[in-house]
Amino acid sequence: MDTVTYPNDKVIEFIQKNLIPLRVAFDAQPLSTDFNIKWTPTLIVLDENGKEHHRTVGFLPPEELIPSLLLGIAKSPFNGERFNEALSTLDKIIAEYPKSDSAPEAAYLRGVCKYKSTHKPQPFKEAYEQLQANYSSSEWTKRAYPYRLL
Amino acid sequence: MANTIIWETDVKSALARARTEDKPILLDFFNPG
Repeated sequence: MDTVTYPNDKVIEFIQKNLIPLRVAFDAQPLSTDFNIKWTPTLIVLDENGKEHHRTVGFLPPEELIPSLLLGIAKSPFNGERFNEALSTLDKIIAEYPKSDSAPEAAYLRGVCKYKSTHKPQPFKEAYEQLQANYSSSEWTKRAYPYRLL
Repeated sequence: MANTIIWETDVKSALARARTEDKPILLDFFNPG
C-alpha cells in the first residue's frame, strides 16, 4: 500500500477530501483486539461514533481502493437506513468505477436501497438483471439470483 | 492538496475530527515492519 496505492495522487486527494485517515500498527492495543485484527493491511471504514461499516483485508491497487472506500462510505447511511444518501454514493461507484470489484456489490445494495425505500419488489429484479448483464460471474449476481422471479 | 496522506495516529482525535467534519474514518491497521 505504501509503495503503490497510498502515493497515488487520486488516492491522496480522495482520502483527504472524503475521510479522516487514521493509521495504527496491527498490534496496537486495545484496537487490535477490539477489531480482531489477524492480517495486514486491514482497512476499516468507521462512522463518527467508531462503529465499523466496511472492511477489506489485503492489498488494493488505486483503481480498487477508491471504489472500495466509496462502498464503505455508502454502507454507513445504508446501515442507518438513510437509503437516499446511500444511493447517491452507490450510483457513483457504478457510474465511475463500473469495472471495479466493488461495482457488483454496489449494484446489489442499490437494489436493496430502492426496495427499502419503496417496499416494491421491482428494484430487486432490476438489480438482478443489471448484475446478470454486467457482472454475470460475480458472487453478487448469484446472491441476487432468486430475485429474477419477482 | 498535500502530496501525501496526512494520517491521524490517535483514535480520539480522529473521532473528534469525524464528528466536526462530518466524515467517516478510514482506519488502516498496518505492519510498520
